[in-house]
Parts: sequence; C-alpha cells; structure tokens
Amino acid sequence: MELTPQQKDMLAGKQGDGMRKAMDILTAYGQCYDAQRLIPVTSVHIAGNFPVLLDEGIDWLEDLAQGGTRVRVFTTKNPEMYDPLQADEMKIPMRLRQRQGRIHDVLKKLGVVLTYSCHHYLAGNVPRFGDHIAWASSGSQVFANSVIGARSNRDGDHVALAAAIAGVIPEWGLHLKENRRADLIVDVGELVLESYGPEDFKALGWSLGKKIGARLPVFINLPPDLHIEKIKGLLYTLTVTGAMGMVHLVGITPEAPDLETALGKGSVHPPTLAATPEDVDKAYGEISSGTSDKIDLVIFGCPQCSIQEVQEISELMEGKKIHADTRFWICTSAWVKLLCDRMGLLKTLTAAGVRVVSDVGAADGPHLYLKEQGVRVIAVNSARASYYAHNLFGMETWFGSTRECVLSAISGKWEGRK
Amino acid sequence: MIRLKARPVTRGLAEGEALVSRMAISFTGGMDPESGIIREPGHDLFGQSVAGKILVFPTGKGSTTGSWQYYAAFKRGFAPKGIINEKAEGVVAVSAIITETPMVHGLEKNPFDYIETGDFVRIDADKGFVEIIKI
Repeated sequence: MELTPQQKDMLAGKQGDGMRKAMDILTAYGQCYDAQRLIPVTSVHIAGNFPVLLDEGIDWLEDLAQGGTRVRVFTTKNPEMYDPLQADEMKIPMRLRQRQGRIHDVLKKLGVVLTYSCHHYLAGNVPRFGDHIAWASSGSQVFANSVIGARSNRDGDHVALAAAIAGVIPEWGLHLKENRRADLIVDVGELVLESYGPEDFKALGWSLGKKIGARLPVFINLPPDLHIEKIKGLLYTLTVTGAMGMVHLVGITPEAPDLETALGKGSVHPPTLAATPEDVDKAYGEISSGTSDKIDLVIFGCPQCSIQEVQEISELMEGKKIHADTRFWICTSAWVKLLCDRMGLLKTLTAAGVRVVSDVGAADGPHLYLKEQGVRVIAVNSARASYYAHNLFGMETWFGSTRECVLSAISGKWEGRK
Repeated sequence: MIRLKARPVTRGLAEGEALVSRMAISFTGGMDPESGIIREPGHDLFGQSVAGKILVFPTGKGSTTGSWQYYAAFKRGFAPKGIINEKAEGVVAVSAIITETPMVHGLEKNPFDYIETGDFVRIDADKGFVEIIKI
C-alpha cells in the first residue's frame, strides 16, 4: 500500500502511540484486501457494548486513550446496556453500571459523540451521497450504502475507531465504484407488497438474507414510494441472516435508478432469485423461538424506535393497561424520549404501564440483566432482536406485528401467529 | 525441514505445535474467550482449544465484533501463539495486530498440503516465511 510521507510518520509513531496503533490496524487491514492507498473518511459509527467488549476490551480502549489520543472524524456510538436515568428503579446491577461508566468515560475522552443510538443518521450523523465512511454496525452500514449512497465496508469497531483517529480508511471493496455493481437479481414482483406491513418486510428479509449470503443483490418490482420503516425492516433483517454490505433497491437506492445502472451498463444479466409468499410464511415460523404462551416482556426497538413508531404504539395503548405479569419496554434514543415527553406520549404510555427506555436497543444489552430478573419469554416486532436475544442470551422469542405485540402486552399471552 | 515463503500480515516470530483446520473460524460465537475452545457445532476443531498453538485455517468469517472476543481470549492466555491463513480476512488480521500475534498468509504453496496438526511450525513474519518440522 502506498502511504504519503505524513501517513508514514503517523505509522512510525511521530504523532503519538494512539496514532501508531490506529495506523498499524489500518495498514494490516488494507493489506488483506490489496488496498492501494488510504482515503479520507467523513463519518464513523462504532458499535461494541459491554457484552462484546468484556473487561479486556474496556482496558484496550483505556490504553488507546492514554496520551490524549482523540478521534478527528465525527464519530457516534451505538446503544449501551441501560438507561442511566432509570438505573435504580430498574435495579441495574452495580457491576454493569461500573462497566458502562468506564465505557462512557473512555469514549468521552476519545472524543466520541455519546449518542448511544443505532439511528444516529436520524440525529446528526448523516453522510452525503458518495462519502467514504466507516460504520461498524451491520444494519446501519447497509442502510448507508443502500439508501444514502455513502460508501462503507463491513468494518469492525477496531477498524472504525482507527479510521476515526487517523481520518483515513483503506480503499477497497464498497469504497470503489466497480465493486458496487449488483451480481444477483431479486424479483419481489410475485408478492402483494401493498398489503405488507413492516413485519412482513422483516420476514421477507429473513428469508432472502439466507439465500443472498454475501452477494450484492438488486431488488426489482419494489414500489418506489415504499415507506422508510419498511425499507429499514427489510435491510436490517437481510443483514441478520446474510452478510451483504449493500443492496440495490431499484427506484430507491441513488445508484439504482433502473436495473441496468445497478448491474453496470452493458453487463450480462446475473441469475434471478424470485421471492415467493411461501418463503415469507416460512420465515415467520423460523424467526419465533417461543414455546410458552405467557409473555414476560414486550420489547420494541431494534433498531431503536423512531418517533413515528412511538406515536403508533402510543395510539394503540391510549386508555389501555398492560397485563400485571407482563412488562412493556420501548427502546429508543435519548432525543426521541425527549420528544415523547414534549409531545405528551410519555404520559399516555406511562399511564398504560409502558416504559420508554433510552440509550439501549432491544437486541442485546438489556438481556444481560433482564434474564437475571426472571424474563424468559419476550415478544418483539423485530426479527433482528429475536435472533440476537435468542442466540446470544437464550430468550424465548415471539415475532409479530407491532399491533400483535401490543395486544400480547395487554392480555399477557402471545396473540400473534405461531 | 520445509521452508515456505509467506506474506506477513503482522510482525514478529512465533513457534509451536500446529493446529490445523480446514474451516473458516468466527471468534464471536465460534470460540469461547474463557478457554480458547472452538464451540461452533459442526466445526472440525469443535471442542479443541486454540490456546498456545500455531493456528492454521483458511480464513476468518462472521461478526466484525470478533476482534474484541479474540482480544479477551488473548488477555486471559487462551489465544494462539501464531496464525497462518490461506487468505487473511479483516477480523482475524485486526485481532492479530492488536495482540501483536505473528501472522502470515498467502503461502507460496497450499499450507494444507504441508502442515498437519502436531507438526512443529515456526512463523517469521518479519522476513516472511514459515518453517515446518515433522516430528
């Protein structure tokens, strides 16, 4: 890889030990993929929370921050384990508070913007079309490539942080235009998409992700006015069962005004995969892992709920009350919670027994202590949350629509399809 | 003794007993950071520990959070001494960099034709070669 004289100095440690570490990571990483050079990045997002970092990961971050190392690119952070404003009433164990406190302090020292959110692009971290970025969170990384048209590979936290510190990233993969062409056509024309809710798009994503794997698909016959929540539902689930870094949605993705452009002008058509209603039905059965009907917790927010989703839930819960043996959480960001308060939604939801929890997501962090608090069966409207809560934390999960989950919270038992 | 040229991913020297897998490895979920034991069902190293070995495998796979899990395993003394890959992949390369584990890839010959579990293997990631001594 060609380095500029300044980059060579950075690698030699002339700008401090933290910069040397960052450059070590970037050069080794770039070399794996035969990158020719390092190019500037404009936006970084990092993901790891305590269940992934473990104590040693926190030590590593603290070592990195020694000597005043700081990010030089705007960098935001994914959700954490608990809402610090409700820590006592939610009985968060002290050992977890101590860990999250250390992560908070070290990220602040590094200059990371403490969003604790996975909808960071709804709150300030918005790249432009064509920007080179490093987003270490598989769902939002695919969203950036496919909806915004910014360019990010499937980078991990160490690479993304190194890019934030050095301001550059190896040029390979999806940073290069020639690697952003589709190599598989996915036809969804056989499905009656007008009748599909966001949950159906998630089931569709689950089914197709397995078949697409790490290829770069182009979807045809999607309605061009598809609502953003449905697009998110599809993309965030595709990356659970698949490993693609980008998806072309004809009429939606900026680089896919039509099929020919997505494939690259004049190219031979790749194979076509046709999605069927049976695939979607089958996915419902696979996503849910529940056996018991009794619901301990209804949990929304993977990715974190937008204000529009909270409005929908609030309307469904108006004047109702959740079952005495069931808990109901809405996971979101601190600023969406602030909006909820300002708009009176928090009052409606609190009266119904629903808790709005900020700084966490429904897939991972909270399950560490929820399990210890006796939560065993959960209802979710996110296939992504179902997958991670079951596979990483052993939760029994039921997956369905927002409405089915709300009804389940009221009756205390699963009201959706099995 | 056989010597094969290799492309360095990191620097340094490592030697020890080879543990060879023909399958890609994921450090998140696939390896227990508390023991270095491969725990992915159906993996050809299932139940075996990578701790202290010269780990030979085709490439990495899975979650990009793998480098955190590898780092924790390293700090607890359960990481391999050195890594030989057919083709290096980002998660494994970053894991090796942050733990200063000698790692090479792209050997001049197919490593699976030359290295078997139990062989004594030396990695020189500074000069770019691997030596194999059959015991």
